[in-house]
Amino acid sequence: MGVKKRMSGCVATANAIRLADVDVICSYPIRPYTGIMSELARMVADGELDAEFILGEGEHGQLSVVYGAAAAGARAFTGSSGVGVMYAMELYSPISGERLPLQMCIADRTLDPPGDFGSEQTDAMCCRDQGWIQGWASTPQEALDISLMYYRIGEDPRVLLPQYACQDGYFVSHILGEVDVPTQAEVNAFLPPYKNHHVLDVKNPMIIGAQIEPQMGPGLQYQRYLAVEGSRKVIEEVHAEFADIFGRKYDPWIEEYMTDGAETVIFIQGGHAETGKTVVNRLRNLGEKVGLIRLRTVRPFPTKQVREALSKFKAVGVIDNSVSFGIACSAGILLTEVRAAIYDMGDKVKTVGFVAGLGGEMITHDEFYKVFKKLKEVVKTGRVEKESYWLPFEL
Amino acid sequence: MLEEIKSIKKAPVEEYYVPGHRTCAGCGPALQYRLVAKAAGPNTIFLGPTGCMYVANTSYACGPWATPWMHTQITNGGAVASGVEAAFKAMIRKHKTDAEFPNIIVMAGDGGTSDIGIQALSAAFYRGHNILFICYDNESYANTGIQASPMTPYGAWTTFTPAGPVVPEGKKLMPKDITKIMAHGHPELKYLATASLSYPIDLMNKVRKGLNANGPAFLYIHAPCPKGWSFPADKTVEIGKLAVETGMIQLYELIDGEYKLTYKPTKYKPITEYIKYQGRFSHLQPEHIEKLQQFANQRLKEVGVEVEAPTITT
Amino acid sequence: MTVPYEKIPFAGTVPSPQKENEGMITGNWRTRRPILDAEKCTSCQLCWISCPDSSINLGDETSSLTFNLKYCKGCGICNEVCPVGAISLVPELDFED
Repeated sequence: MGVKKRMSGCVATANAIRLADVDVICSYPIRPYTGIMSELARMVADGELDAEFILGEGEHGQLSVVYGAAAAGARAFTGSSGVGVMYAMELYSPISGERLPLQMCIADRTLDPPGDFGSEQTDAMCCRDQGWIQGWASTPQEALDISLMYYRIGEDPRVLLPQYACQDGYFVSHILGEVDVPTQAEVNAFLPPYKNHHVLDVKNPMIIGAQIEPQMGPGLQYQRYLAVEGSRKVIEEVHAEFADIFGRKYDPWIEEYMTDGAETVIFIQGGHAETGKTVVNRLRNLGEKVGLIRLRTVRPFPTKQVREALSKFKAVGVIDNSVSFGIACSAGILLTEVRAAIYDMGDKVKTVGFVAGLGGEMITHDEFYKVFKKLKEVVKTGRVEKESYWLPFEL
Repeated sequence: MLEEIKSIKKAPVEEYYVPGHRTCAGCGPALQYRLVAKAAGPNTIFLGPTGCMYVANTSYACGPWATPWMHTQITNGGAVASGVEAAFKAMIRKHKTDAEFPNIIVMAGDGGTSDIGIQALSAAFYRGHNILFICYDNESYANTGIQASPMTPYGAWTTFTPAGPVVPEGKKLMPKDITKIMAHGHPELKYLATASLSYPIDLMNKVRKGLNANGPAFLYIHAPCPKGWSFPADKTVEIGKLAVETGMIQLYELIDGEYKLTYKPTKYKPITEYIKYQGRFSHLQPEHIEKLQQFANQRLKEVGVEVEAPTITT
Repeated sequence: MTVPYEKIPFAGTVPSPQKENEGMITGNWRTRRPILDAEKCTSCQLCWISCPDSSINLGDETSSLTFNLKYCKGCGICNEVCPVGAISLVPELDFED
């Protein structure tokens, strides 16, 4: 056990990076993730962390710097929010395709237009196809924990993939929570040094990233696909190891909250789940058979585990804290993915999509009540009349 | 520290840019790459932003460098090099590697230097990373089939600046002078020079000076392109010489804030002697050629050479 | 023909070559072959330093320089830069090999 302190998600993440003995950090300021970088800068200046703290010229530059650093064999870290995450988009495929297990922390933020500092998961969700490990922390403790776990998962020789350690802007990045900060000894026992199959080393010179003809294209993508699919096993192993060493047990894929005997559940990822849990508690006290499922890892998406878990319920309200205009089913990304996962169950489990908490607004207790009310209606009538609701306008 | 090369006969024999690459016959950038690799030696990591010196050299799934080499996007040669440099600094200091600090060389084309890559380049130099950034200037986006870049000369035909009745000169814009842009305003700059593949010993020694500089070093290398400029493949070295002898290209170093020529022709030829061999200028009218001559004179003036404008004879 | 994924090295990374890159053999590009007149050659090495394809091998005290015909593209720069005209370019079809 380490030291228990109150800290924000930003500071918690910075502590994880310090404990991971990261070698190269590339910063660039954008709200709300900036606090991670300023805390890391302080740690470097105060001698708590020995790392090269590079002042990046922009988010595209940040990802490029850590790309080079990871290829040279260093453990590298960067982060961003909102449009910054978009600006770096060019780099996400090269980084995962070159199998460089660097870590990017995204404290999510609404995209322009116009400027809006508020939290929304759209920015990081736009990156979900790029072949990175990805998931949301819903508390500062979890923010610290996933940063450590993600390095361990990503650097595993069977995986070698980069990771997006996401957390809700402000709701997690800035609000204080109690965090048990592990000791260095514990982290050293958990996280071995970073090694890769290809590094820039004059003693073993290699050519990394040569141009290919189309005939090599499918095979290279398949290699990456196998790595992402193969990471599932590693994700489970690492979560078990983490529990052993640090004493905090997380389900690798989904957290089930009061789902025993539930008929309707909310399916949600990130910090708004904490609000949802409060509502579930209250409704349970009133005798309602409700529960909540919090998705912890969105890439790779836990198809099997989601299918198994949701098969127990009659109706699921999938909350998307992001936009995906024009998407199939007209709600959000998670609704479409959940429906794909439970497709085989036919009509047995009803799903309804709710787009909520956009722009940095809270998802209020009132909205959660309305969602559960709608789900109860769906169970009663046996019909989904409208599959998508944009809260707070449409319910 | 890398030592000065005294002559062609004393140049290192070892090749670090070996035979076997899909560059055009007579490719200027390929020749300068070979010279750079030769001068830098085995303790070198090359970073190759997308361009001819990436695609043509690594077609397909292979490459001619005997040292480590990595692809970067055309946008970020300077940034990736910064990361590599920082990594080695950190790993060496933290005893996570027993490697020696390597030469880190970015080999970027004129587009990847002065256009889409300029932000990353400027930031790397602002931060003072110990890297050598080389701009091989074939005066176009050549790999995509010869499109205009900010370093394409006034009056040059490219597929984006074709000559026609509406635009008789082809390219209307005067080019950026990336070397001068880099020379001023980056306080950490340690070495800056221009070179040409037609002056190989000078080129190789400038590479070595840049690598010895222990900080950001910028080297502009003029690299004629037979395909893009429309001249026969065997004339690459000749065209490079004419560029210098007509004053279109100046060979200099920045020493204590001043430009010092490293080679000066005894008498400058008119630029017609240079452009007459290149199909990309064949559409130019006397008034355009006059403008081009004035451009050359102005560039010469900026490095301290006053020429009475040679009269144009077409 | 799609390359089987097991045959592709990790992330497409390949070892650097040492002496030659056989992944791109270019000798068959040539339409003209450089031929050396050893009598005229002064070993100034100008041709050697000007070859974009590193395809001129220096001689020594006993032998004159040779051309690496496996890779030489026949660009003719060597012929152009030679100050004594010791290199000539002969149509490739004149040769048996």
